[in-house]
Amino acid sequence: MSRMDTTDERVLELIEAYGASSMSWPEDEREAAEAHLAAHPARFEAALAAARALDSLFDADMAPEPGPLLAERILASAPRPASQRHSGLAARIGRVLTPNGRRWPAGAALASLGMGLFAGYTASASSLPPAYETEAENVVYGALGYDQFDTYLEEEMLDE
Amino acid sequence: MAQSALVNRHMPVVWRVAFRMLGDRQEAEDVTQETFLRAWKMLPDWEARAKFSTWACTVAINLCRDRMKKKAPVLMETLPEREAADLPPDQALHQKQAGTRIQALIDGLPERQKEALTLCAFEGLGNKDAAAAMQVSVEALESLLSRARRTLRQALSEGQQE
Repeated sequence: MSRMDTTDERVLELIEAYGASSMSWPEDEREAAEAHLAAHPARFEAALAAARALDSLFDADMAPEPGPLLAERILASAPRPASQRHSGLAARIGRVLTPNGRRWPAGAALASLGMGLFAGYTASASSLPPAYETEAENVVYGALGYDQFDTYLEEEMLDE
Repeated sequence: MAQSALVNRHMPVVWRVAFRMLGDRQEAEDVTQETFLRAWKMLPDWEARAKFSTWACTVAINLCRDRMKKKAPVLMETLPEREAADLPPDQALHQKQAGTRIQALIDGLPERQKEALTLCAFEGLGNKDAAAAMQVSVEALESLLSRARRTLRQALSEGQQE
């Protein structure tokens, strides 16, 4: 909901708090404030000039950036995607089949059966939707504020 | 891939907020990692009641406040060098000097004013998101921003007179 009326005092407060650029002002007051400013520009000249001087110094501030390896370290602590959980499953199956190492030929038939089953399982898994469509990852996109991955990509492309 | 998107989109902001508050790259990294560790634990129960960016900034700010309580004030370390590649050398130098100057003045602000300015002026959060991240009302946020800007203008004005 946007406010359609405003006062000199309020416009001065907006400039004082958020700076000279109306893009920094609260969205629900922006339109009314811009209209008021356009109607009475002389009243706000001094405040705008003072705010612009400070804004230009903020613009000159070099934004620091995190180290290049931080993202990798954070991702290393993330929950594993589904494909890696399958690898864990394979390892567990392996441990069940050969708890004390290889037992040839006694365990060979069982191992072959197990491998066949696992191959079938992974083949069917590969025909499933891509990993980002797993339930866990949809939760992440939900947290990002998107319905699904496609919506996220659309917005990212619009931002560029 | 989803986790990468989340990290790529929000990690730099979380780190910069922590760095501006703590003044130490390593501590900012620790806070950022802790924020995302909490995110990984919390995400399965995530409810769409808050933006992730706001939630992450809230967690990071609280972690920073905890750390600041435990230690004596420290001077901001020198900001990392980043060349203004497209500017002529004299303009790049002028911009660097202006950036260093304003950063020193911002470091001297009270913590809450610095938080408000960091979120709104430097990271571009809207007033409602910034207020939510700081756990204050929008009116309180506005008051903090006004006082911060007034203090900075005054300091700059005094600096010019000297």
